[in-house]
Amino acid sequence: MSNIVKSTLIMALITFVASMALSHINKITLPDIQRQEREKQESALKTVLPGYTITEKKTADTPDGPFTYWIGEKQREETVARGYAFITEKSGYSGPVRSMVGIDEQGTVLGIVILQQTETPGLGARCIERASMETFLDYILGRTTRVAPQPPWFQSQFTGLDATKKITILKRGDWTPGLRDELIEKNAISAITGATITSRTVRDSIATGMEKLTALVTLIKTEEEEGE
Amino acid sequence: MDYLKEVIKGLWERNPILVLGIGLCPTLAVTTSVSNALWMALATTFVLICSNVLVSVIRNIVPSHIRIPIFITIIASFVIIVELTLKAFQPDVYQALGIFIPLIVVNCIILGRAEEFASRNSIFRSILDGLGMGLGFGGTLFILAFFRETLGANKLFGYTLIPGMKPATIMIIAPGAFFTLGLMLWAMNALKSRKRG
Repeated sequence: MSNIVKSTLIMALITFVASMALSHINKITLPDIQRQEREKQESALKTVLPGYTITEKKTADTPDGPFTYWIGEKQREETVARGYAFITEKSGYSGPVRSMVGIDEQGTVLGIVILQQTETPGLGARCIERASMETFLDYILGRTTRVAPQPPWFQSQFTGLDATKKITILKRGDWTPGLRDELIEKNAISAITGATITSRTVRDSIATGMEKLTALVTLIKTEEEEGE
Repeated sequence: MDYLKEVIKGLWERNPILVLGIGLCPTLAVTTSVSNALWMALATTFVLICSNVLVSVIRNIVPSHIRIPIFITIIASFVIIVELTLKAFQPDVYQALGIFIPLIVVNCIILGRAEEFASRNSIFRSILDGLGMGLGFGGTLFILAFFRETLGANKLFGYTLIPGMKPATIMIIAPGAFFTLGLMLWAMNALKSRKRG
Protein backbone atom coordinates (compact mmCIF):
# COMPACT_ATOMS: atom_id res chain seq x y z
CA MET A 1 0.00 0.00 0.00
CA SER A 2 2.73 2.43 0.98
CA ASN A 3 4.31 1.54 -2.33
CA ILE A 4 1.38 3.08 -4.21
CA VAL A 5 1.46 6.20 -2.04
CA LYS A 6 5.18 6.61 -2.57
CA SER A 7 4.92 6.17 -6.35
CA THR A 8 2.05 8.61 -6.56
CA LEU A 9 3.91 11.21 -4.52
CA ILE A 10 7.05 10.92 -6.62
CA MET A 11 5.08 11.12 -9.84
CA ALA A 12 3.13 14.14 -8.56
CA LEU A 13 6.32 15.87 -7.43
CA ILE A 14 8.04 15.38 -10.78
CA THR A 15 5.09 16.53 -12.86
CA PHE A 16 4.68 19.52 -10.53
CA VAL A 17 8.31 20.56 -10.98
CA ALA A 18 8.02 20.01 -14.73
CA SER A 19 4.92 22.17 -15.06
CA MET A 20 6.45 24.90 -12.88
CA ALA A 21 9.54 24.95 -15.08
CA LEU A 22 7.51 24.98 -18.27
CA SER A 23 5.19 27.76 -17.17
CA HIS A 24 8.25 29.82 -16.32
CA ILE A 25 9.85 29.17 -19.73
CA ASN A 26 6.53 29.99 -21.35
CA LYS A 27 6.42 33.30 -19.50
CA ILE A 28 9.93 34.19 -20.67
CA THR A 29 9.39 33.29 -24.32
CA LEU A 30 5.78 34.43 -24.74
CA PRO A 31 6.50 38.15 -25.39
CA ASP A 32 9.09 37.21 -28.01
CA ILE A 33 6.79 34.72 -29.71
CA GLN A 34 3.97 37.26 -29.78
CA ARG A 35 6.29 39.97 -31.11
CA GLN A 36 7.51 37.61 -33.85
CA GLU A 37 3.92 36.84 -34.82
CA ARG A 38 2.91 40.51 -34.85
CA GLU A 39 5.93 41.50 -36.93
CA LYS A 40 5.25 38.63 -39.27
CA GLN A 41 1.66 39.75 -39.77
CA GLU A 42 2.64 43.38 -40.34
CA SER A 43 5.32 42.52 -42.86
CA ALA A 44 2.95 40.03 -44.51
CA LEU A 45 0.36 42.79 -44.93
CA LYS A 46 2.97 45.00 -46.58
CA THR A 47 3.90 42.18 -48.96
CA VAL A 48 0.38 41.20 -49.99
CA LEU A 49 -0.91 44.79 -50.33
CA PRO A 50 2.13 46.66 -51.66
CA GLY A 51 1.64 50.42 -51.60
CA TYR A 52 -1.76 50.25 -49.93
CA THR A 53 -2.67 51.90 -46.65
CA ILE A 54 -4.66 49.66 -44.39
CA THR A 55 -7.89 51.44 -43.46
CA GLU A 56 -9.90 48.73 -41.79
CA LYS A 57 -9.56 45.35 -40.18
CA LYS A 58 -12.70 43.26 -39.98
CA THR A 59 -13.60 39.87 -38.63
CA ALA A 60 -16.65 38.03 -39.85
CA ASP A 61 -18.19 34.86 -38.52
CA THR A 62 -18.37 31.98 -40.96
CA PRO A 63 -19.36 28.34 -40.39
CA ASP A 64 -15.62 27.45 -40.31
CA GLY A 65 -14.85 30.02 -37.64
CA PRO A 66 -13.82 33.66 -37.71
CA PHE A 67 -12.61 35.09 -41.01
CA THR A 68 -10.26 38.06 -40.77
CA TYR A 69 -9.78 40.47 -43.60
CA TRP A 70 -8.27 43.89 -44.16
CA ILE A 71 -9.27 46.67 -46.50
CA GLY A 72 -6.52 48.79 -47.96
CA GLU A 73 -6.68 51.94 -50.07
CA LYS A 74 -4.31 53.38 -52.60
CA GLN A 75 -4.49 56.73 -54.39
CA ARG A 76 -4.53 56.11 -58.12
CA GLU A 77 -4.61 59.35 -60.15
CA GLU A 78 -8.14 60.57 -59.40
CA THR A 79 -9.80 57.51 -57.95
CA VAL A 80 -9.03 55.55 -54.87
CA ALA A 81 -8.27 51.91 -55.55
CA ARG A 82 -9.18 49.37 -52.94
CA GLY A 83 -7.34 46.21 -52.05
CA TYR A 84 -8.27 43.35 -49.79
CA ALA A 85 -6.16 41.01 -47.72
CA PHE A 86 -7.43 37.95 -45.89
CA ILE A 87 -6.13 35.05 -43.88
CA THR A 88 -7.11 31.62 -45.05
CA GLU A 89 -6.26 28.15 -43.89
CA LYS A 90 -6.56 24.58 -45.14
CA SER A 91 -5.17 21.24 -44.07
CA GLY A 92 -2.09 20.27 -45.99
CA TYR A 93 -0.03 17.11 -45.91
CA SER A 94 0.75 17.20 -42.19
CA GLY A 95 -1.23 20.06 -40.68
CA PRO A 96 -2.89 23.35 -41.42
CA VAL A 97 -1.27 25.70 -43.92
CA ARG A 98 -2.23 29.28 -43.15
CA SER A 99 -1.60 32.03 -45.62
CA MET A 100 -2.38 35.69 -46.13
CA VAL A 101 -3.61 36.65 -49.58
CA GLY A 102 -3.86 40.13 -51.04
CA ILE A 103 -6.04 40.94 -54.04
CA ASP A 104 -7.04 44.11 -55.84
CA GLU A 105 -10.58 45.19 -56.71
CA GLN A 106 -10.65 43.00 -59.82
CA GLY A 107 -9.60 39.90 -57.94
CA THR A 108 -6.04 39.79 -59.20
CA VAL A 109 -3.61 38.40 -56.64
CA LEU A 110 -1.20 41.08 -55.45
CA GLY A 111 0.78 38.66 -53.34
CA ILE A 112 0.55 35.81 -50.90
CA VAL A 113 2.53 34.99 -47.79
CA ILE A 114 2.42 31.62 -46.06
CA LEU A 115 2.21 32.44 -42.37
CA GLN A 116 2.24 29.00 -40.85
CA GLN A 117 2.84 25.48 -42.07
CA THR A 118 4.09 22.18 -40.72
CA GLU A 119 4.78 20.44 -44.00
CA THR A 120 7.59 17.95 -44.51
CA PRO A 121 10.99 19.65 -44.43
CA GLY A 122 12.63 19.57 -47.84
CA LEU A 123 9.37 18.83 -49.63
CA GLY A 124 6.21 20.72 -48.69
CA ALA A 125 8.08 23.06 -46.40
CA ARG A 126 9.81 24.39 -49.50
CA CYS A 127 6.69 26.50 -50.03
CA ILE A 128 8.49 29.08 -47.87
CA GLU A 129 11.91 28.53 -49.46
CA ARG A 130 13.77 31.50 -50.85
CA ALA A 131 15.62 30.94 -54.09
CA SER A 132 19.31 31.47 -53.58
CA MET A 133 21.09 33.20 -56.39
CA GLU A 134 24.54 32.74 -54.90
CA THR A 135 26.50 29.57 -55.51
CA PHE A 136 28.45 27.75 -52.82
CA LEU A 137 31.72 28.64 -54.56
CA ASP A 138 30.79 32.32 -54.33
CA TYR A 139 30.07 31.83 -50.66
CA ILE A 140 33.43 30.17 -49.94
CA LEU A 141 35.41 32.71 -51.95
CA GLY A 142 33.50 35.55 -50.33
CA ARG A 143 32.12 36.71 -53.68
CA THR A 144 28.74 37.30 -52.14
CA THR A 145 26.92 39.97 -54.05
CA ARG A 146 24.68 40.78 -51.10
CA VAL A 147 21.62 41.02 -53.27
CA ALA A 148 18.40 41.65 -51.43
CA PRO A 149 16.86 38.33 -50.35
CA GLN A 150 14.61 36.92 -53.02
CA PRO A 151 10.92 36.51 -52.23
CA PRO A 152 9.98 32.84 -51.74
CA TRP A 153 9.63 31.48 -55.27
CA PHE A 154 6.58 29.33 -54.66
CA GLN A 155 4.55 32.16 -53.14
CA SER A 156 5.57 34.75 -55.71
CA GLN A 157 4.13 32.59 -58.48
CA PHE A 158 0.66 33.56 -57.35
CA THR A 159 1.22 37.28 -57.92
CA GLY A 160 -0.67 38.43 -60.99
CA LEU A 161 -3.00 35.45 -61.22
CA ASP A 162 -6.77 35.87 -61.34
CA ALA A 163 -8.16 34.57 -58.07
CA THR A 164 -11.76 34.73 -59.26
CA LYS A 165 -11.03 31.97 -61.77
CA LYS A 166 -9.67 28.50 -61.10
CA ILE A 167 -5.92 28.41 -60.73
CA THR A 168 -4.46 25.29 -62.35
CA ILE A 169 -1.39 23.41 -61.19
CA LEU A 170 1.29 22.40 -63.67
CA LYS A 171 4.21 20.11 -62.92
CA ARG A 172 7.11 22.04 -64.34
CA GLY A 173 9.53 21.65 -61.46
CA ASP A 174 10.96 24.61 -59.63
CA TRP A 175 9.90 27.99 -60.78
CA THR A 176 12.29 29.93 -63.01
CA PRO A 177 11.77 33.45 -64.37
CA GLY A 178 11.32 31.90 -67.83
CA LEU A 179 8.10 30.22 -66.74
CA ARG A 180 6.40 33.45 -65.70
CA ASP A 181 4.65 34.40 -68.96
CA GLU A 182 3.34 30.91 -69.60
CA LEU A 183 2.00 30.57 -66.06
CA ILE A 184 0.26 33.96 -66.08
CA GLU A 185 -1.33 33.19 -69.42
CA LYS A 186 -2.66 29.83 -68.21
CA ASN A 187 -3.57 31.21 -64.76
CA ALA A 188 -1.41 28.46 -63.30
CA ILE A 189 1.36 27.75 -60.84
CA SER A 190 4.15 25.22 -61.01
CA ALA A 191 3.90 22.69 -58.16
CA ILE A 192 6.72 22.04 -55.72
CA THR A 193 8.47 18.83 -56.78
CA GLY A 194 7.35 15.97 -54.54
CA ALA A 195 4.78 18.14 -52.77
CA THR A 196 1.74 18.32 -55.00
CA ILE A 197 -0.55 18.13 -51.97
CA THR A 198 1.00 21.22 -50.41
CA SER A 199 0.77 23.11 -53.69
CA ARG A 200 -2.86 22.10 -54.08
CA THR A 201 -3.63 23.08 -50.47
CA VAL A 202 -2.38 26.61 -50.96
CA ARG A 203 -4.33 26.93 -54.21
CA ASP A 204 -7.53 25.56 -52.62
CA SER A 205 -7.20 27.72 -49.52
CA ILE A 206 -7.09 30.80 -51.75
CA ALA A 207 -10.27 29.62 -53.48
CA THR A 208 -12.14 29.10 -50.17
CA GLY A 209 -10.87 32.43 -48.86
CA MET A 210 -12.09 34.14 -52.02
CA GLU A 211 -15.52 32.57 -51.59
CA LYS A 212 -15.79 33.98 -48.08
CA LEU A 213 -14.46 37.37 -49.12
CA THR A 214 -16.79 37.77 -52.09
CA ALA A 215 -19.72 37.02 -49.80
CA LEU A 216 -18.70 40.03 -47.71
CA VAL A 217 -17.41 42.58 -50.20
CA THR A 218 -18.21 43.24 -53.83
CA LEU A 219 -15.35 43.03 -56.25
CA ILE A 220 -15.44 44.94 -59.51
CA LYS A 221 -16.06 42.52 -62.31
CA THR A 222 -14.21 43.52 -65.43
CA GLU A 223 -16.39 45.91 -67.49
CA GLU A 224 -19.17 45.98 -64.92
CA GLU A 225 -20.64 48.52 -62.60
CA GLU A 226 -19.40 48.64 -59.07
CA GLY A 227 -21.98 47.41 -56.59
CA GLU A 228 -22.65 49.48 -53.53
CA MET B 1 40.69 7.44 -21.02
CA ASP B 2 37.78 5.53 -19.62
CA TYR B 3 35.63 8.66 -19.75
CA LEU B 4 36.65 9.43 -23.32
CA LYS B 5 35.42 5.98 -24.26
CA GLU B 6 31.87 6.93 -23.22
CA VAL B 7 31.93 9.72 -25.80
CA ILE B 8 33.65 7.76 -28.56
CA LYS B 9 31.31 4.77 -28.36
CA GLY B 10 28.36 6.87 -29.49
CA LEU B 11 30.26 7.92 -32.58
CA TRP B 12 31.26 4.52 -33.86
CA GLU B 13 30.84 1.33 -31.87
CA ARG B 14 27.35 2.12 -30.55
CA ASN B 15 26.31 4.71 -33.13
CA PRO B 16 22.59 5.21 -32.45
CA ILE B 17 21.51 5.14 -36.09
CA LEU B 18 24.00 2.90 -37.86
CA VAL B 19 24.51 0.30 -35.13
CA LEU B 20 21.60 0.48 -32.70
CA GLY B 21 19.16 1.31 -35.50
CA ILE B 22 17.08 3.73 -33.42
CA GLY B 23 15.85 7.25 -34.10
CA LEU B 24 15.32 6.55 -37.78
CA CYS B 25 12.20 8.69 -38.23
CA PRO B 26 13.86 12.12 -37.84
CA THR B 27 16.94 10.72 -39.59
CA LEU B 28 15.00 10.05 -42.75
CA ALA B 29 12.78 13.09 -42.50
CA VAL B 30 14.98 16.10 -41.76
CA THR B 31 18.11 15.21 -43.73
CA THR B 32 16.92 17.09 -46.79
CA SER B 33 19.34 19.91 -46.07
CA VAL B 34 22.53 20.17 -44.07
CA SER B 35 21.30 23.10 -42.00
CA ASN B 36 18.08 21.28 -41.05
CA ALA B 37 20.15 18.25 -40.05
CA LEU B 38 22.50 20.32 -37.90
CA TRP B 39 19.67 22.15 -36.10
CA MET B 40 17.90 18.86 -35.51
CA ALA B 41 21.10 17.32 -34.15
CA LEU B 42 21.64 20.30 -31.87
CA ALA B 43 18.08 20.17 -30.52
CA THR B 44 18.22 16.41 -29.99
CA THR B 45 21.64 16.54 -28.32
CA PHE B 46 20.44 19.23 -25.94
CA VAL B 47 17.40 17.18 -24.94
CA LEU B 48 19.52 14.03 -24.72
CA ILE B 49 22.15 15.52 -22.41
CA CYS B 50 19.61 17.30 -20.18
CA SER B 51 17.33 14.30 -19.83
CA ASN B 52 20.32 12.00 -19.19
CA VAL B 53 21.46 14.29 -16.37
CA LEU B 54 18.04 14.46 -14.71
CA VAL B 55 17.36 10.76 -15.10
CA SER B 56 20.73 10.04 -13.57
CA VAL B 57 20.05 12.42 -10.67
CA ILE B 58 16.77 10.77 -9.74
CA ARG B 59 17.82 7.20 -10.60
CA ASN B 60 17.91 6.09 -6.96
CA ILE B 61 14.62 7.60 -5.82
CA VAL B 62 12.35 6.54 -8.68
CA PRO B 63 10.54 3.22 -8.13
CA SER B 64 11.30 1.10 -11.18
CA HIS B 65 7.67 0.36 -12.07
CA ILE B 66 6.86 4.03 -12.74
CA ARG B 67 10.19 4.96 -14.35
CA ILE B 68 8.90 5.13 -17.95
CA PRO B 69 6.18 7.79 -17.33
CA ILE B 70 8.71 9.78 -15.33
CA PHE B 71 11.34 9.59 -18.07
CA ILE B 72 8.75 10.66 -20.63
CA THR B 73 7.70 13.63 -18.45
CA ILE B 74 11.32 14.75 -18.18
CA ILE B 75 12.00 14.32 -21.90
CA ALA B 76 8.77 16.06 -22.91
CA SER B 77 9.57 19.04 -20.67
CA PHE B 78 12.95 19.55 -22.30
CA VAL B 79 11.44 19.19 -25.76
CA ILE B 80 8.90 21.92 -24.96
CA ILE B 81 11.74 24.13 -23.71
CA VAL B 82 13.55 23.62 -27.02
CA GLU B 83 10.36 24.22 -28.97
CA LEU B 84 9.47 27.47 -27.21
CA THR B 85 13.05 28.75 -27.36
CA LEU B 86 13.34 28.08 -31.08
CA LYS B 87 9.93 29.62 -31.70
CA ALA B 88 10.93 32.79 -29.83
CA PHE B 89 14.48 33.27 -31.05
CA GLN B 90 14.91 31.20 -34.24
CA PRO B 91 11.48 31.32 -35.92
CA ASP B 92 12.90 30.40 -39.33
CA VAL B 93 14.47 27.22 -38.01
CA TYR B 94 11.26 26.41 -36.15
CA GLN B 95 9.33 26.86 -39.40
CA ALA B 96 11.73 24.71 -41.38
CA LEU B 97 11.78 21.78 -38.95
CA GLY B 98 8.06 21.96 -38.31
CA ILE B 99 6.54 18.91 -36.68
CA PHE B 100 9.88 17.18 -36.08
CA ILE B 101 10.78 19.38 -33.12
CA PRO B 102 7.81 18.23 -30.97
CA LEU B 103 8.43 14.70 -32.26
CA ILE B 104 11.83 14.62 -30.50
CA VAL B 105 9.75 13.38 -27.53
CA VAL B 106 9.26 10.04 -29.23
CA ASN B 107 12.81 9.75 -30.52
CA CYS B 108 13.90 6.33 -29.26
CA ILE B 109 17.48 7.45 -28.80
CA ILE B 110 16.53 9.65 -25.88
CA LEU B 111 14.27 7.21 -24.06
CA GLY B 112 16.67 4.41 -24.96
CA ARG B 113 19.65 6.14 -23.38
CA ALA B 114 17.63 7.12 -20.31
CA GLU B 115 16.58 3.53 -19.79
CA GLU B 116 19.76 1.77 -20.82
CA PHE B 117 22.43 4.13 -19.55
CA ALA B 118 21.45 7.16 -17.49
CA SER B 119 19.27 5.23 -15.03
CA ARG B 120 22.27 3.03 -14.18
CA ASN B 121 25.25 5.37 -14.29
CA SER B 122 26.67 8.46 -12.61
CA ILE B 123 25.75 11.98 -13.71
CA PHE B 124 29.11 12.69 -15.30
CA ARG B 125 29.11 9.47 -17.30
CA SER B 126 25.54 10.20 -18.40
CA ILE B 127 26.55 13.62 -19.73
CA LEU B 128 29.39 12.03 -21.70
CA ASP B 129 27.09 9.33 -23.00
CA GLY B 130 24.52 11.92 -24.09
CA LEU B 131 27.22 13.99 -25.77
CA GLY B 132 28.64 10.98 -27.60
CA MET B 133 25.23 9.73 -28.72
CA GLY B 134 24.29 13.26 -29.82
CA LEU B 135 27.51 13.58 -31.82
CA GLY B 136 26.98 10.16 -33.37
CA PHE B 137 23.42 11.09 -34.28
CA GLY B 138 24.47 14.51 -35.59
CA GLY B 139 27.40 13.11 -37.55
CA THR B 140 25.27 10.51 -39.26
CA LEU B 141 22.59 13.10 -40.02
CA PHE B 142 25.24 15.44 -41.44
CA ILE B 143 26.69 12.83 -43.83
CA LEU B 144 23.22 11.73 -44.92
CA ALA B 145 22.08 15.32 -45.46
CA PHE B 146 25.31 16.20 -47.25
CA PHE B 147 24.71 13.57 -49.93
CA ARG B 148 20.99 14.26 -50.17
CA GLU B 149 21.32 18.03 -50.44
CA THR B 150 24.22 18.03 -52.90
CA LEU B 151 22.81 15.32 -55.17
CA GLY B 152 19.11 15.95 -54.70
CA ALA B 153 18.97 19.73 -54.67
CA ASN B 154 22.35 20.72 -56.13
CA LYS B 155 22.91 22.83 -53.04
CA LEU B 156 24.97 23.00 -49.88
CA PHE B 157 23.86 25.07 -46.88
CA GLY B 158 21.19 26.48 -49.20
CA TYR B 159 23.73 27.76 -51.75
CA THR B 160 23.64 26.46 -55.30
CA LEU B 161 26.63 24.26 -56.17
CA ILE B 162 26.70 24.09 -59.98
CA PRO B 163 24.55 26.78 -61.58
CA GLY B 164 22.15 25.44 -64.17
CA MET B 165 22.55 21.74 -63.36
CA LYS B 166 19.34 19.75 -62.86
CA PRO B 167 19.55 17.80 -59.60
CA ALA B 168 18.45 14.19 -59.07
CA THR B 169 15.18 14.91 -57.29
CA ILE B 170 14.83 11.30 -56.10
CA MET B 171 17.59 11.96 -53.58
CA ILE B 172 15.60 14.65 -51.80
CA ILE B 173 12.41 12.60 -51.49
CA ALA B 174 11.96 9.61 -49.19
CA PRO B 175 13.53 6.91 -51.42
CA GLY B 176 16.76 8.91 -51.58
CA ALA B 177 16.95 8.82 -47.79
CA PHE B 178 16.57 5.04 -47.77
CA PHE B 179 19.19 4.57 -50.52
CA THR B 180 21.72 6.75 -48.75
CA LEU B 181 21.08 5.22 -45.34
CA GLY B 182 21.36 1.73 -46.83
CA LEU B 183 24.69 2.55 -48.43
CA MET B 184 25.93 4.04 -45.17
CA LEU B 185 24.94 0.90 -43.25
CA TRP B 186 26.69 -1.22 -45.83
CA ALA B 187 29.86 0.89 -45.65
CA MET B 188 29.80 0.76 -41.86
CA ASN B 189 29.40 -3.03 -41.76
CA ALA B 190 32.02 -3.55 -44.47
CA LEU B 191 34.54 -1.47 -42.49
CA LYS B 192 33.70 -3.30 -39.28
CA SER B 193 34.03 -6.78 -40.73
CA ARG B 194 37.34 -5.88 -42.36
CA LYS B 195 38.61 -4.66 -39.00
CA ARG B 196 37.65 -7.95 -37.42
CA GLY B 197 39.63 -9.68 -40.11
